[in-house]
Amino acid sequence: MAVSTPSSGYIDRPRPSGLADVIEVILDKGLVIDAYVRVSLIGIEILTIDARIVIASVDTYLRFAEAVGRLNLAEADDSQGLPELMESMTSGGAKSKTSGALDAVKEKITGGDDDDGDDDEKKTPSRSRRSSGSSSGSSSSRRRKSS
Amino acid sequence: MTDAEGNVYVYGVASAAERASLPDAGVAGAGVRIVEHDGLAAIVSDLDSGTLVAAREVRAHWRVIEAAAADATVLPVRFATVLAGDRAVVEQLLEPQADRLTELLRSLAGRVQLAVKGEYDEEALLREIVREAPAVKALRERVRTRPEAAAYYDRIRLGELVSGEIGRRRARDQQMALASFEGHAEASVANEPRSANGAFDLAFLVSRDKVDAFGAPVRALSETLGDRIRLRYLGPLPPYSFVDEQRAQGAPAWA
Repeated sequence: MAVSTPSSGYIDRPRPSGLADVIEVILDKGLVIDAYVRVSLIGIEILTIDARIVIASVDTYLRFAEAVGRLNLAEADDSQGLPELMESMTSGGAKSKTSGALDAVKEKITGGDDDDGDDDEKKTPSRSRRSSGSSSGSSSSRRRKSS
Repeated sequence: MTDAEGNVYVYGVASAAERASLPDAGVAGAGVRIVEHDGLAAIVSDLDSGTLVAAREVRAHWRVIEAAAADATVLPVRFATVLAGDRAVVEQLLEPQADRLTELLRSLAGRVQLAVKGEYDEEALLREIVREAPAVKALRERVRTRPEAAAYYDRIRLGELVSGEIGRRRARDQQMALASFEGHAEASVANEPRSANGAFDLAFLVSRDKVDAFGAPVRALSETLGDRIRLRYLGPLPPYSFVDEQRAQGAPAWA
């Protein structure tokens, strides 16, 4: 889906074609009804891949270590007072490979993006296992504001 | 009330008076209709099949919710919720939860959800961490001067330290971002960011007529954050993050 910067004043709408955003919005939120019929959902585990599994793994640690090691910090010893240089370096640097792991996850999530390309998804029993015990919602914090 | 034989897929609940607009087709290509009871309108489709292809139906589900919520206030029901016929929709949803649903519809009437998500520029973030965390900087030097295999555990430790530093910045940035919307929304929820570079994932409840005005604090925050965190601003959405207060969030309907 298109990504817009807020400065353009345009608000993105999640589109059915932009599956990742829609999934984030609807997958584990909404009213829960106690009694319901179980239906088999094919491919649901692909949609529920939780990027945070990746975050807390040895692979991710190694990826971070590699990314940190690759940084060119020639100027870092006297980094005070060099914000401009830092800025030009970060904006000028090619998009590093370090986002690879994340991209891979996104690709998996959006894998069946064309409406008929869902056939490659694995069958799941109706009682699908969540890939991790962590559900994003349960860790969310909430607060009310008096407007 | 027609008593349908088969199962019924439930998208959401609206006030019957609002006449939510419905698309022609919903999940599994089925028509979309209303089951009405006592002023409440459940938006449903008849479901012949016991099997749904998740990726396709997530889209179909969203199309229905998006159309219905365009003008009406819709309480979204969790994805893949199926009840045993129209009677079950009334007896297991509309009737027993009438008070709660009516109260939610009343309190959310005329309001939509707006989402503001922040994503770190990874390279800038890592530079900042090396600059500000002496332990990371020291371990980085150590790892760099040793053969890759010999430094294996140091590299893991380095990555772990970096992860921890990212977590601390995430907490700080989330709090700062949330505070910058003080007074602009009626309620807010901070969700855990899902992506590795996610800084924050905020949901705000905003009155429909204040949606345009909400762009101002978003722009202000965007300017404050500069290149360090890229903002994405999504909406308007049905009030997904504001309907299940009494529930533990996160339990999927299909589990």
